Amino acid sequence: MNGHVRETDLALYASGDVSLWHRASIHLHIRQCEKCREVVNEFRVDARILRDASAVLPEGVDWARLSAEMTANVRVGLEAGECVAPRGRGRLRKAIPASIPERWRPVALASAVAAMLTVMLAGAWWLNVPAQDTQALNRAMHSIWHGRAAMSDERVAVIEASSEGIELRKNGGSLGVTQDAARLMTVSVSTQGSASAHYVDQDTGQVTITSVYAQ
Amino acid sequence: MRNNFVIFVLAAIAATAQAPGRKIDFPVDSPITAVSSDWSETKATPRGGAYVLDVHAVLSLRNSSQKRIRGVMLAVQAQEVTPGGKGSVSVPSLDVAPGEAFPLRIDLPLMCPLGAGPNVEVKLDGVLFEDLTFYGSDRLNSRRRMTVWELEARRDRKYFKTLLETAGNEGLQKEVLSSIARQADRPSTGVQMVRGRSTNTDPEREVQFAFLHMPDSPVDPISGTARIAGNEARTPHINLQNRSERAVKHLELGWIVKDQQGREFLAASIPSDVSLAPGKSGLVTQDTALRFSERTQVDSMTGFVSSAEYADGSYWIPTRGELNDPKLRGVIAPSPEEQRLLQIYRKKGLNGLIEELKKF
Repeated sequence: MNGHVRETDLALYASGDVSLWHRASIHLHIRQCEKCREVVNEFRVDARILRDASAVLPEGVDWARLSAEMTANVRVGLEAGECVAPRGRGRLRKAIPASIPERWRPVALASAVAAMLTVMLAGAWWLNVPAQDTQALNRAMHSIWHGRAAMSDERVAVIEASSEGIELRKNGGSLGVTQDAARLMTVSVSTQGSASAHYVDQDTGQVTITSVYAQ
Repeated sequence: MRNNFVIFVLAAIAATAQAPGRKIDFPVDSPITAVSSDWSETKATPRGGAYVLDVHAVLSLRNSSQKRIRGVMLAVQAQEVTPGGKGSVSVPSLDVAPGEAFPLRIDLPLMCPLGAGPNVEVKLDGVLFEDLTFYGSDRLNSRRRMTVWELEARRDRKYFKTLLETAGNEGLQKEVLSSIARQADRPSTGVQMVRGRSTNTDPEREVQFAFLHMPDSPVDPISGTARIAGNEARTPHINLQNRSERAVKHLELGWIVKDQQGREFLAASIPSDVSLAPGKSGLVTQDTALRFSERTQVDSMTGFVSSAEYADGSYWIPTRGELNDPKLRGVIAPSPEEQRLLQIYRKKGLNGLIEELKKF
């Protein structure tokens, strides 16, 4: 770096082809840098001369024919490009590294799609499903994995009190009042079908007792 | 494409979470009135065939009666007959003068069927006054619970005040620090309570209760058993005798469990309506199963009477001396008032606690 803007950037600036942000930064620079300002002015003068020269067609040129030939050449170029491009045109196929052998590419493609779907599903689950439902699923998976019944028969209402708070569960769904750092709870269970969490509200200083009922 | 997905997810969340209908329904002659309420953080989310309602509200209530209020219990419900459709929020240890306003915070999850629409209703279950009179529908037994909390509050304040007078600041501080340490060391284990049939397939045995006898208790447990299978204890049967001169209509027993590692913890309370005439015996039984974590194998059990209500509406609770029993001291939780006083000590120090004790 010599403290000046690159010449290519100055050329683009002169023709108005840089981004707004880049344009502003070059503009600030050339206001203070005489050398760059002169380069920009030269580009602008050259551009004007070219523009003036191209405004007049050379004698004997048939514009309609020239236009048809140019269009035909563009088409030929596009078709040639199609012939030499890889057969799989999808973005996913292009994303598979060239180092993977051709016969493993379908497997790699399927794995990539499966991984992407898993990430999407996990994201959607994390955004939408409450923690209690996730815990219920974990319990079900735990009991399936260990080949025995879940710890609780959740067809009936189950009330649980633990160091994490109180919870009412039924049919796989659950509701709970959970403890956090600002709310240290004392929990208790009554055999008549309720659980209570006692805590001192940090804002009001009041003891607050929240209870859930099985029936 | 990525932006479209994020927008889709955010739109889906916005479409599913919604503000439920809410209603504060106090009787016309209620001794408290709702001054204002903030429900802005309450939302309902459809989940399967039901709505899950996260109720977060702060109510500002005013004592519109002529007496000081000591406790309030509100019933918060989305659907009364559905499990998970009903909860309650209680604030004991209050001291609200007539005309004064006080806040009440509700943090409670509820559930209701999808067809019913997400609605939250707050009803007054009961208000307890300074003279222990009561107002309310009492559908959640708020009268009994709040009266016991208030009697415990008076007992504990008196205990700390007496300690301050006899042992000075140092004695009070020592007891407060000891109580804080007990709270921190109090053993706790996860306990599940299921009413009705048990599903445990482990071999079952009958285990006898041991009992802690409190000298002043009007009711004395005589014998008792429960069925034990592995980490589960169920169907307690307890024989009691009324040794007082007054009839007893309700009592609450504490159920302490000791596991095979020797750890003891308060598993549950057993409230029971009874009809015990003076000198008579009776049986308390409940079709309930308590299930502990898989590592907790039940070894033995202890029971004690934690409160009793006489037929005339007066109550008995254990004294601080009776609660100082070494077996009880380590397992029972402090009363709501003791929790409040300990919190004042934590935030404002010993002088703050002494100032608070002087208010009563």
